[in-house]
Amino acid sequence: MEDEKNHTGPLMIALQYNDLFDLDSISAMTASTNTDDAVPKDRAVTFIKAVQIVNERLVEQNKTESLLFEVILIAKECSEEIKMNIVESVKYYGLEIVKIFFCKKEELINTLQLNNVKLFLSTDKDDVYEVLHIGIPAAVLYEQSDDHVLNQLKVIFSGDVIGFSEDSLDSLSDFGFSETQIETFKEAKICMKEFAVLIGQMRRKFGQENSPLCICVLTAWGSTNVCASALKTLREWGLDVDEAFCLAGAPCSPILAVVKPHILWDGGLHNMRDLSAHS
Amino acid sequence: LRIGDGLKMSSQNLLQHGEKDWAAAKAHFENLKSTKPRPPKPKYAVTIAVSSRTLFDMVAERKIFEEEGLEKYVQHQQEHENEPLKPGPAFPFVKALMTVNERLRNLYPDSEELFDIVLMTNNHAQVGVRLMNSINHYDLTIERFCMTGGQSPIEYLKAYMTNLYLSKDSKKVQEAIEEGIAAAIMFKPDVVTQLSETQLRVAFDGDAVLFSDESEIIVKQHGLDTFFEHEKQYENKPLAQGPLKCFLEALGKLQKKFYAKNERLNCPIRTFLVTARSAASSGARVLKTLRSWGLEIDEALFLAGAPKGPLLLKIRPHIFFDDQMFHIEGAKEMGTIAAHVPYGIGQKYNKGKLIEPEKQQK
Repeated sequence: MEDEKNHTGPLMIALQYNDLFDLDSISAMTASTNTDDAVPKDRAVTFIKAVQIVNERLVEQNKTESLLFEVILIAKECSEEIKMNIVESVKYYGLEIVKIFFCKKEELINTLQLNNVKLFLSTDKDDVYEVLHIGIPAAVLYEQSDDHVLNQLKVIFSGDVIGFSEDSLDSLSDFGFSETQIETFKEAKICMKEFAVLIGQMRRKFGQENSPLCICVLTAWGSTNVCASALKTLREWGLDVDEAFCLAGAPCSPILAVVKPHILWDGGLHNMRDLSAHS
Repeated sequence: LRIGDGLKMSSQNLLQHGEKDWAAAKAHFENLKSTKPRPPKPKYAVTIAVSSRTLFDMVAERKIFEEEGLEKYVQHQQEHENEPLKPGPAFPFVKALMTVNERLRNLYPDSEELFDIVLMTNNHAQVGVRLMNSINHYDLTIERFCMTGGQSPIEYLKAYMTNLYLSKDSKKVQEAIEEGIAAAIMFKPDVVTQLSETQLRVAFDGDAVLFSDESEIIVKQHGLDTFFEHEKQYENKPLAQGPLKCFLEALGKLQKKFYAKNERLNCPIRTFLVTARSAASSGARVLKTLRSWGLEIDEALFLAGAPKGPLLLKIRPHIFFDDQMFHIEGAKEMGTIAAHVPYGIGQKYNKGKLIEPEKQQK
């Protein structure tokens, strides 16, 4: 088992402003003199609320707990007016956002690295893969099809990426996956480990039942051996899994619709492009 | 009751998305040149979901859970991870399903119309490793599973397009039936019986299993004589369908595939109706109902009230579905693997007497 390194300090998660706020409401504002704030999107709000609940429960157990979630917001290419609106809206809606970074498009990666971001979340899978490829942990902020707030933060790890051995991953070139894609999968596995170790420490502070954190593993087309391997690997990394699904090629969307995850790690292995179109 | 097939219709989006996953899975399996056959597409398959306690004997482990709590139970399972579990009541049924699949694959190598077995368990994923090791130990073709970590399995049953759900938990089975999914509570027989290894044999009770409980209500509330009159009068009016009708239908579809290849005499699926009705006075309506549904049953056995145990011993089914615990217990005592279908008026009675309200199962 991974030795208990003293991973203190916050688990920083970065969101992009266009995932948090409805862009249309922002542009509508700049057009008029209306001082209404930008409207936050349900998907991001349920995520932030779930994160807040985990933090509250962690602090309940230990007032001086340092391994808490921190959410930062990154806004690319904003006018001064929009910048103001974002700051106001964050305050107005009581969203627990620790910092807001305004930067240029090319500065995204730098900003993430400089601030020791442990997870970059986006609804745009291209952004996710780009960031993963550099070696920064990144995952999909999954669509919550209704705005019912679960009192649990749900994270899905890809059993395929974690469970497949290095050799099997290499053999994927036979199926038409490009070198870049294969490299991204390997990076994804390394990134997942980083994140898994931290979240594993958090998860262990709660029992099997009534935990504000729910860890799931979804093996979309690996065999049961791949899934078993993923579970054992995650255990080695210090992360105990709550729910596991092995689909052997069956469609993922029905399962995801039931699980309703907030964070979805896939590394791109099973082409979940149409996820957001599913609602 | 909703017809089970309704669950299999997908929207255009799901279809497209499913196709991409499917191509990847197909390519993956073919390249591995594995001896294990590729699992079928859920929308064409007959999906049977079994719980961990029906597939394996987890009586000792269950005791630890009940007496020492969840954490100790999970720890125990992890410590014994590499020890395979012993077979449970659904085990022979699952092996028989695999035999049918082999035959189907021989005759129709490219077809997705096969049995698909899914392990559907409430267990936390930590217990999963032992379950998977056990599945591998017996070489069972179970490629799909769902460990809900304590959540109710009902929504997952729908997501996995389940045609039949077998569990030891009566509450979950009742919920499944209410949601239109064929389901039953499995019981381990008191005596071990030798079962066929080449033919899947499934026995069904009639009223409140294949058919609705409308006629049974008449028996319970107005007595046998009224029942006989009623059935004769309505001989030509088909009975409404019961919770297991869709499963019989699914079996029938697979049987027809064997008939199409001239294998009727050697068909690896055989179905039985074992009913307390008598052939002369109330049997016709049952047979006519089946005919009106376009369904065949291989053998229809009318007992006219005689006990089912001895007859079932002759049939030796891999599973026998009945709605009344009285019959389930009788079957179990004599070595038949019985599955209780908690549906209809029969749940409020025990051996013909109305159970006091506070003693009734919910």
